Amino acid sequence: MRGGKPDEMDREPIREKLEPRLPARAQAVVVGAGVIGCAVAREITRYTPDVVVLDKENDVACGASKANNAEVHSGIGEEAGTLKQRLNVRGNHMYEGFVQGLGVEFKRQGLLIVVTPRSVPPEVAESMNPQQLDELLRVKIPEGIVAYGEAAGIRGLRILSREEVLKKEPNVTPEAVSGVFDPNYGLVCPYKLTIALAEHAVMNGARFLLNTEVTGFRVEGGEVRGVITSRGEIATPLVINAAGVFADEVAEMAGAGGFRIHPRKGATLLFDRQVTSEYVRSSVALFRMPGMKRERSKGGGAMPTVEGNLQLGPTAVEVDDKYDTSISAEEIEEIFERFHYLLPDFPKDAVISAFSGVRAPTYEEDFVIEASNRVKGFVNVAGIQSPGLASAPAIVEMVMGFLHELGIPREPRPDFRPVRPAIPRFAELDDQERDALIRKDPRWGNIICRCEYVTEAEVLAAIHSLIPATDMDGVKRRTRTGMGRCQGGFCGHRVAAILARELGRPVTEITKSGEGSPVYLAETKDFLRAERSGHGQG
Amino acid sequence: MVRVRRPDLVVIGAGPAGLGAALAACDAGLKDVMLIERDVELGGILPQCIHDGFGSIVFGETLTGPQYAQRYIDRLEKSDVEVKLNTMVLDLRPDRSLTAVNSRDGVMEIRPKAVILAMGCRERTRHQILIPGYRPAGVVCAGAAQRDINIEGLMPGRRVVILGSGDIGLIMARRFTLEGAEVEGVYEIMDHPGGLTRNLVQCLHDYDIPLHLSHTVTFIHGRKRVEAVTVSRVDENLKPVPGTERLVPCDTLVLSVGLIPENELSKRAGISLDPATGGPVVDERMETSVEGIFACGNVMNVFDLVDYVTHTAETAGRSAAEYVLQGIRKRGECLRVRPGRNVKFVVPQLLRGYGEEAHFYFRVSRPERAVRARLSSGDLLLAERKIRMVRPPEMVRLKADPERLKEALARGELDVQVVPEEETKGRQG
Repeated sequence: MRGGKPDEMDREPIREKLEPRLPARAQAVVVGAGVIGCAVAREITRYTPDVVVLDKENDVACGASKANNAEVHSGIGEEAGTLKQRLNVRGNHMYEGFVQGLGVEFKRQGLLIVVTPRSVPPEVAESMNPQQLDELLRVKIPEGIVAYGEAAGIRGLRILSREEVLKKEPNVTPEAVSGVFDPNYGLVCPYKLTIALAEHAVMNGARFLLNTEVTGFRVEGGEVRGVITSRGEIATPLVINAAGVFADEVAEMAGAGGFRIHPRKGATLLFDRQVTSEYVRSSVALFRMPGMKRERSKGGGAMPTVEGNLQLGPTAVEVDDKYDTSISAEEIEEIFERFHYLLPDFPKDAVISAFSGVRAPTYEEDFVIEASNRVKGFVNVAGIQSPGLASAPAIVEMVMGFLHELGIPREPRPDFRPVRPAIPRFAELDDQERDALIRKDPRWGNIICRCEYVTEAEVLAAIHSLIPATDMDGVKRRTRTGMGRCQGGFCGHRVAAILARELGRPVTEITKSGEGSPVYLAETKDFLRAERSGHGQG
Repeated sequence: MVRVRRPDLVVIGAGPAGLGAALAACDAGLKDVMLIERDVELGGILPQCIHDGFGSIVFGETLTGPQYAQRYIDRLEKSDVEVKLNTMVLDLRPDRSLTAVNSRDGVMEIRPKAVILAMGCRERTRHQILIPGYRPAGVVCAGAAQRDINIEGLMPGRRVVILGSGDIGLIMARRFTLEGAEVEGVYEIMDHPGGLTRNLVQCLHDYDIPLHLSHTVTFIHGRKRVEAVTVSRVDENLKPVPGTERLVPCDTLVLSVGLIPENELSKRAGISLDPATGGPVVDERMETSVEGIFACGNVMNVFDLVDYVTHTAETAGRSAAEYVLQGIRKRGECLRVRPGRNVKFVVPQLLRGYGEEAHFYFRVSRPERAVRARLSSGDLLLAERKIRMVRPPEMVRLKADPERLKEALARGELDVQVVPEEETKGRQG
């Protein structure tokens, strides 16, 4: 199994895809290959194929786009009158059209806002007689939520009685007094969406240069002329800054800044699907009266993933380090405590994973979407934190407004290819479909990941895709290898061996998540040999 | 088209349990036995267990894992058992039908007369015990690391910290050391070691590897690859004590923090599981709550010795054959075996009384010196063993004869307990 023979047929195109030449010029350059960068690039390709996307990581979706809760919010949680709320409400409405043709699952599971006695501060509760409090919790708060949402253009909100709340979500605390159901909430896998958008853009001519860090910009006479990268320079009149937590630093490089990003970490616990499938069917959140002293974190809830795992979180902790994706003991405890109230019997022992992402808020806590008035041709798409995923379609629409002004043609291309063919997922097929695939290609019958039922054919497709998976996490995000209850114990060495074979590298060069993260440090006996030769020299 | 197969018996898993069960079923006269294994070779975990210590009860000599497996593989090759390697069972239903898949046969719908569950166990992972910190490369379970080194020929680490003093953790401490890696220490959250005494001596003591009891890892450092771990002392409630943190530089954290019986298929088939063992509730013939589905080995509970796995497998294989050939059906009378003083759990959990001898396996909750392990029904003693020292990692087996089991069934009670030696003396005196 070691290393394995590289497949000559497959090797050439992969190399080319992994290390594409830096183009001399492009009509537009997008900095950052998260969900926003990839969505903007895909939209640009509807009008011109000549767009380049740069990212310093070795894959798309390596920042906040891989570590959020997959929720497409409705806007109900956002402050009235903010850009965020406006784009969120609009983005949510646009979602079906946004994902059309991408081969990515999007479903609207809805949000259940639960009102309990803990929804109001204790001093408020104590100042009222029982009838008043009941009236507040049962009638006034739900009515208030609905009025607030409707004013923002959120439709379909429904007030639920205690019985209806518990019927809808039987695992919710029996202390529930009432609730509001928001049918607009949706779920989409954020990294699969990002990968699909990137591939769709590539299909239509976009070039992705990964492992390529932006180090500066060429700005002449107040206009963008080029992007300077770790691998050379690209001449361009248009830059879209979608660099997530690094957007402030990127903007500064061009002299187009004026905002600061302060990283805020969010940790989430993920549960075994077999235990928690349907544990909650919609997203569930406890209502807390505005202005109430919050717990250390803001927002968060209990929700299923697209695949049906229960997730709890995220927390919200201000951090100094933009790379701080750790999860602390305090955060774990906080999640357990918080959800012990909302879902008293949640299956604590069925946690299979915990992850943490870093949000990119500005101090104003609103999105910064602007064509810079200091540097012509430089567009900032910054401060994109939750509900950035939900707002993405509307953000793209707004950005395109600027880009058309700045020279991207307004006429759609006739040769734009609207559909990205998606690789089927063995786990989701019925037995007849599975059997038919295996007859065509036996690798569909070779199960690599036994928890998530991922086949060799799917792993190969991920490695040979338009944005190739080049490490363990890249394969995992595309296929779900290692995402199940055994967390890669069974499939880890198999995936590493396939990567080594397909990339034509020794398995000791295979990494978990890019440079500096080797899975294996040596072959057996290597350390002993090194020791011996060391002694010899001494 | 999906193919339909109708063998007499399907055994799921070809580790020591599956091998033993399939052969025992053949020996008992079953002709059409299918053995399904999802890995590329037979033997389950045994091929990677290149240390010795296997088989002292079954063969009266100590073998390595591959040798132990080979004895069964040799017999299997001479048998009529149909072996399906690289084959994954996707579903098992309460009517005993299964769906399995591989590259050669495609999707198979299998409708056997009986099924034996021999899926073994899997390792508990880092997130199941919620170790805080980053998620870098270099956090591996001990069994996976053992496979990497012994089968794949790859070193998952060079400067190693091991969390958990279960047997695989101890064995890997030695294995890493022999490969020229540095094992900084083994940390155990409990105040007593998790592994067998012989492994403590042969794997840690002989190599001067320190064992830190009442300690755990409280943070994993390193964004890309493990750079260090923080270890902390824990109090009597197993909570880390603030102020006791120590930073231990390393590139690898090996976890030996428990094994979980693999019962995803059992759950799909609607089989009752015992929360104490994590495995199916079985009777003395290893039959589960679903008629015609039997279980054996680590799918029932995690055994300490492969010899016991083989014993349960042989019982399950023979019982499944009798079920198919003689139509022996589950008896209605049924007695639950009660775990008594210092007994964590007992398997089998149920006694039905088929007029055969039966073995009961149990684990203690806490270490204890100079005791007697007893299987009794009121004042009737069915089995007793004097033991110098009982420890939670080491299972105890008691054998009872058919006559007394019948009597216990009539009395309607059966208890397993561990009693201090003095107490038994006192009572006798």
